[in-house]
Amino acid sequence: MNNSVRIAVDIGGTFTDIQILVEDTGQSFAHKTPTTPEDPSVGLLKGIREASELFSFDIADVSALMHGTTIATNAVLQRRFPKAALLTTKGFEDVLEIGRHVRKEVYSQIGEERLVMVPRRYRFGVTERINVAGEVETALDEQAARETIEQIRNEDISVIAVCLLHSFTNPAHENRLEELINEQIPNAYVSISSRTSPQAREFERTSTTCLNALLMPVVRDYLDRLDARMNEAGFRAPVFLVQSNGGVTTPDIAREQPVRLVLSGPSGGAKAAETLSRQLDEPNLVAVDMGGTSFDVSVVENGATRLRSEGEIDGAPVRLPMLEIRTIGSGGGSMASADSTGRLTVGPQSAGAVPGPVAYLRGGTEPTVTDANLALGRIDPEYFLGGAMPLDADASARAVADRIASPLGLTPESAADGIVRIAISDMAEAIRLSLFEKGLDPADFALISFGGAGGLHTALVAEELGASRVLFPRSSGTLSAWGMLFADIVQDVVRSRLTPANHEGASTLKPLLADLIAQGAGLLERSGVDAASRHYELAFDMRYPGQGYELGVEAPDADLDDSTMTRVVERFHQQHKVLFAHNEVDVTPDIISIRLRAIGRLEKPDDVVFKPEPGEATKSNRRIYIGAGWHDVAVHERDRIGVGDIVNGPAIIEESHSTIVLPPNWTARVHPTGVIAADRETG
Amino acid sequence: MTLDPIQIEIIRNALVAAAEEMSITVWRTSRSSIVRENLDYSTAVFDADGQSTAQSARMPVHLNSMASCLEDILAHHIPVEDWQDGDIIITNDPYSGGQHLPDVMTFMPVYLGEERIAIAGILVHHLDVGGGAPGSFDPNATEIFQEGFRIPPLHLQRGGVFNKEVEMLFLRNTREPEKVGGDFLSQIASLEIGAANLRRVAKRYGAATLREASKQIQAQSEGAMRAAIASIPDGRYEFEDFVDNDGITETPIRIHVTLVVTGDTMEVDLGESAEQAAGPVNCTRNMTNSAVFCGIMMAIDDHIPANAGCYRPITIKSTPGTVVDAQSPAPVANRMAVGHRVVNTTMGAMAQALPGRVAAAYYGVSFVYAIGFEHDDGSRQVYFDIECGGWGAHPTADGASGFSCGFHNISNGPVEMIEIDYPVTFTEYAFANNTGGRGRKRGGLGLSRAFRIDSPKATFTANLDRFSNPPYGLDGGERGGPASLSITRADGSVEELKAKVRSLPVKSGDIVRLQTAGGGGYGNPSERTTEDREADLLDGYVTEARS
Repeated sequence: MNNSVRIAVDIGGTFTDIQILVEDTGQSFAHKTPTTPEDPSVGLLKGIREASELFSFDIADVSALMHGTTIATNAVLQRRFPKAALLTTKGFEDVLEIGRHVRKEVYSQIGEERLVMVPRRYRFGVTERINVAGEVETALDEQAARETIEQIRNEDISVIAVCLLHSFTNPAHENRLEELINEQIPNAYVSISSRTSPQAREFERTSTTCLNALLMPVVRDYLDRLDARMNEAGFRAPVFLVQSNGGVTTPDIAREQPVRLVLSGPSGGAKAAETLSRQLDEPNLVAVDMGGTSFDVSVVENGATRLRSEGEIDGAPVRLPMLEIRTIGSGGGSMASADSTGRLTVGPQSAGAVPGPVAYLRGGTEPTVTDANLALGRIDPEYFLGGAMPLDADASARAVADRIASPLGLTPESAADGIVRIAISDMAEAIRLSLFEKGLDPADFALISFGGAGGLHTALVAEELGASRVLFPRSSGTLSAWGMLFADIVQDVVRSRLTPANHEGASTLKPLLADLIAQGAGLLERSGVDAASRHYELAFDMRYPGQGYELGVEAPDADLDDSTMTRVVERFHQQHKVLFAHNEVDVTPDIISIRLRAIGRLEKPDDVVFKPEPGEATKSNRRIYIGAGWHDVAVHERDRIGVGDIVNGPAIIEESHSTIVLPPNWTARVHPTGVIAADRETG
Repeated sequence: MTLDPIQIEIIRNALVAAAEEMSITVWRTSRSSIVRENLDYSTAVFDADGQSTAQSARMPVHLNSMASCLEDILAHHIPVEDWQDGDIIITNDPYSGGQHLPDVMTFMPVYLGEERIAIAGILVHHLDVGGGAPGSFDPNATEIFQEGFRIPPLHLQRGGVFNKEVEMLFLRNTREPEKVGGDFLSQIASLEIGAANLRRVAKRYGAATLREASKQIQAQSEGAMRAAIASIPDGRYEFEDFVDNDGITETPIRIHVTLVVTGDTMEVDLGESAEQAAGPVNCTRNMTNSAVFCGIMMAIDDHIPANAGCYRPITIKSTPGTVVDAQSPAPVANRMAVGHRVVNTTMGAMAQALPGRVAAAYYGVSFVYAIGFEHDDGSRQVYFDIECGGWGAHPTADGASGFSCGFHNISNGPVEMIEIDYPVTFTEYAFANNTGGRGRKRGGLGLSRAFRIDSPKATFTANLDRFSNPPYGLDGGERGGPASLSITRADGSVEELKAKVRSLPVKSGDIVRLQTAGGGGYGNPSERTTEDREADLLDGYVTEARS
C-alpha cells in the first residue's frame, strides 16, 4: 500500500493552515498552528510535525509540499525593501515615479502616495536607444555604463533593476548591461525587464522589474532558511510555491522570479472554487470570501476562474497573469457610525483584529458587523472559534444601542439588523458590478461562501442579489490550503510583438512561439516535469488597430498555422462582441503579445464521500433576529447532518470556525462531498 | 413619510450602483479612445424633479455640469410637463446648459406606471462634432459657429420612438461618423440600462419611498456642506489669478473671486472677472459653477457625497458677457483654460478663509497638443495627448510631481504604445528639475516631454497656458516654474513657441519639447528643513544652483 501524503500549507497573519492529503484514499485532514511572523518557516515545520503525529504519517512519506507564502506580499506591504538601483534609457529615469498619473481621490489636496520602489537618487539613465522596430538607434555607451555601475557599487547597492525602452523586441542592451553588472558587482541581484515581463508599456514593465529585483534577496533568504529547516527535519519531498497565476513553481525558479509570488494570496481559494465547481457540477459560480477586513469576489465561469494579464499591489502594477478578484473593504470588522446629519454608514473603516469588534473586549468601542451579528443572536458568543475565544455579546449590544440606535432614534434590534443589511447591500452591489462589467447576469450564478464571516451573510447577499442558490463548503476558513492540494505547475511566458493577425503575422510569430515553447519546456524540465505531463496553452493579446487596450484570446492549440490564426481572429471578433457589444469583422486585428502557459500536470486525488459524525444533529434552540422579527430557531451541528438530509430555514448551522445563517424560505441539503447546498424558494 | 437611516443608505447604494452600471455600460460598449481610455464621460441619477442624487463622476469638470444643464433645460427649454415615458432629451449647446460642443448630454425620464420616479443622465465627450479643426478644438475660433455642430435641447426619442433623423443629421456633421455613431449608440443604450435599474429600485422599495429617500440623501449632503461652511469664519475673502491669453490677443485674462461666508452659507462672486475673450477659452456659467464647486470641495476636503444638496448653501454670481459667463456666440472649445483657473482662484480665496488648510496653486492647465500626420498614401492620422504638471504644496506636504490634479483627471499613454501607433520617437519623459515652487513645503515638479517627428509631412497644434503667469505660492511660498514649448529643427535651430499654436508645419527630425508648469510653494523657503533640502538635492528635484 502506498502511504504517501501531499501537504499544503497556507501561512496567514495569525494561523498557519495545513491540509494533509492521503494520496491513496483521497481523504484529507486539516490542522492549524499559530504563525511565527519573524520566520514563518518555524511555524510551518512545527505544524507539519504536529500533523504527522496527529494523523500518523511519516515525514519520509511526504510526496510533495505545496506552500502558499505571503513573504513577498508582506515585504511590499510593509515596505521592507533593500536599497536598490534602476537603470533606464537616458531621459526616462522618472517613468517609474510618474506612472500613469491618474489619481483615485478626486477632491484631494494632497497627492496620494505613489509606491516608488527606487528613489530618484538611485535611478540612472544609460545612453542607448532601441527604436520601435527593435533596431539600435543609439548604441549602448559601455564606458559611461561602466562608470554608472561603479557609482552604484560605491553606494553599496547590490540589487539592480534594468528596464530599457523596447527591450521586449530587442534585449541586446539589457543583456549586455547584465553582463557588465555581473562583472563589476559579483553576486548582485539583477533583474532585467526583457526576462521578467517582456511586454510593451514601459511603466508597467519597469514597476514589475523593480519589484522582482527588490524581492530577490527577501525570497532567497526565506527559501534558504526553509531549506535548512527541511534538511534538519529530514524532509526530502519537493517543495512547490504558490504563484499569483493559480499554479505552483519550484523554489529554484522563484528565486529568479519572486514577483510571481506577490499576489498569490487568492490562488488557493480559486483552486478550491474550481475543484468544488467540478465536484458539484456547478460550472458557474461566484466565490465570495468574507473575512475580518475585506470581501473578495471572484468568478468561476465554465469551471475556471478568470485570469487577467495584470494586477497591482499597493498601486504598483504587476504585469503578470493573475486571478481576477474584486475586493471591497467590507468584513466582520467593518465599523458602523452615525454622523451628525443622521446618516448611518458601515465601513470602510475596519476595527481589524486589534482592537477588533467591541465583543473581543480589547478596547474596541465602535460597533462592527460582527457585533451586530452578536446583538442579533446569530453568533453564539460561547462557540466562537469552537469556543476557543469567548465573546461578550452584551458589550456588542450596548455599543450598538449607544452609538447607533439612540443617536438615530432606532430600536436596538433594528439598528443591529440595519448594520448587517447595509453591509450586505454593499457586498451585493460589488458582486453585481463584477458580473455586469463582464456582461454576465447574477441569475445564472450560484454563490459559494468562503471565509470566517461568509456563512453569516452569503444567503442574505444572495437574496439581495436575486440569486437563489448558495453553496457552503466545510471548513470554509481553511479552504485556501485545501485548494492548493489541487494546483498544477504553471509557468507563464510572454513576448510583445506588434503584428497583424493574418498569414504574415503567423509567419512572424512562428519563431517567437518556438522560443516560448523552448523557454516553457526548459522551466518544466527544471521543475522535474516529465515530457508526458507537459501541456501548453497558447493565447494572444489582441486589439483593433488604434485601440489602447487588448483582449486575451485563447488559441485552439499551441500550434501556429493559418488555420489557428483564422480561428483566433474569429474568437477575437466574437469576444469583442460579447464584452463590448460591437465588433468590426472586416478589420484585421493586431496582435500585441503572444502568451504561452506551460503546465506540468500533477496527479489529482479522487473525490471523497463525506461521512457524518454520529449523534443528533440538532443541538439546541436559539433566539435570533431575522426577517424583521425574533424567532426561536434550531441550531444544528454541521458535521452530524447526514448526506441528503434537509434543514429548513430559519435555522443556524454551526461548525467550529463558522456559523451559517439560513434565512426563512431557504432549504439546505448536504451534498455527498459534505458541501451544504442551500436553495431559496422563489415565486 | 419618514424613512429610517437604513433604508436611506441601502437606496443610496442602489442609486450609486445604477449610476455606476450606466458608466460601465458606456465604457464597455463605446468605440473611441477618448471614451475608452481617457474615460471622458460621466453618468448621474436625478430625482423626479431633476435634482441630482447620485453620480459616477470620473472627472470633477463633469461634477454638477449635468445637474445645471438639466435645470436649464427644465427652466427654459422643455418644461417637465412635456417629458413622458420613453423620452430622451439631448443637447450639446453650451448656451443651453452645455459646456462645449463635443460634450453631448442625454437625459431620460424614468416612470413606474404613470409616475415619474427619476431621471437618468449621461454626458459623453464625442471625438469630433465638426467645426474648424479635427476634434472640434480650433484654437483660432472666434465664434461658436466655427466650433462644430450644435444641438439645442430637443427630443431625440419621444414615447419610445427614436428620431433617427436627428442622429443622421448629427453624424453627417462629424469627421468620424463610425466612431461617433458607435459612441452615440452606446450612450443611448446605457441610458436604457440606467432606466431599467432605477425602475427595479422603485419597484422594490416603492415610488414614494424612493422619492423620500432621494430627498433625504440630498438633505444629508446639504447638512454636511452647511456644517463645513459654518466652521469657516464669517467674512469676505478675495483672490485673483490670470490666464496667459486667449490665443488671439496677448492680453492676460483676469479671474477674480470674492467669497462671502455668512453662517452656514457662502456667496461666490466672480463679477469682476475679465470680459469674454475673442478666442475659445470662455466658460459658460454652468462650466464656471462646476469649477467653483470643484475648488470648494477640494478646499473643504471632507468627502461629502456630491449631489444637489451640496450646492444649496452656495450662491454663485457673475456678470454676463465676462469670460466666466460667456454669451453667445463666444467660442468655448478650450474652456478648460479658464475653468482650471476658476478652480485655482476659488481655492486661493478659500485659502484666505481657511489659512493653513488649503494648498497653493496646482499647474491649472490641461496641456493639450495634437499632431496631424499626412502619410505618403494620402491617409491622415491624428495623435492627440494631454499632460499635467505639479501640485501646489500643502501646509503639511510637498506638492506631488507630474500628477493629475484639480479640475481634470487624466492618464498618460505609454511611450512605447504611442511609438507603436504613430511616427514619433520620444527623447525624454521626466520631471522638470527646479520647477517646484520654493517654500517651507515645495511645490510639485512639472514634466518634461520631448519627441522627434518621424514623418515628412505633419502639423503641430497646442492649447497650453501658464507660460507667463505660473502657479501662485501661498504664505510666502514662491511660484511654480512656468510652462514652455520649443521646437528644435532638424537643422539644429531652436524656436521658442507660444502657448497656443495652430497647425505649425513640422517634419522628420524636428524635436518638440513641452515643459509643464510646477506647483506653487507653501510657506517661507527659509523655513524648509535641512533634511528636506538635502533630500531635494540628492534626488535632483532641486539642483545646487537653485537651492
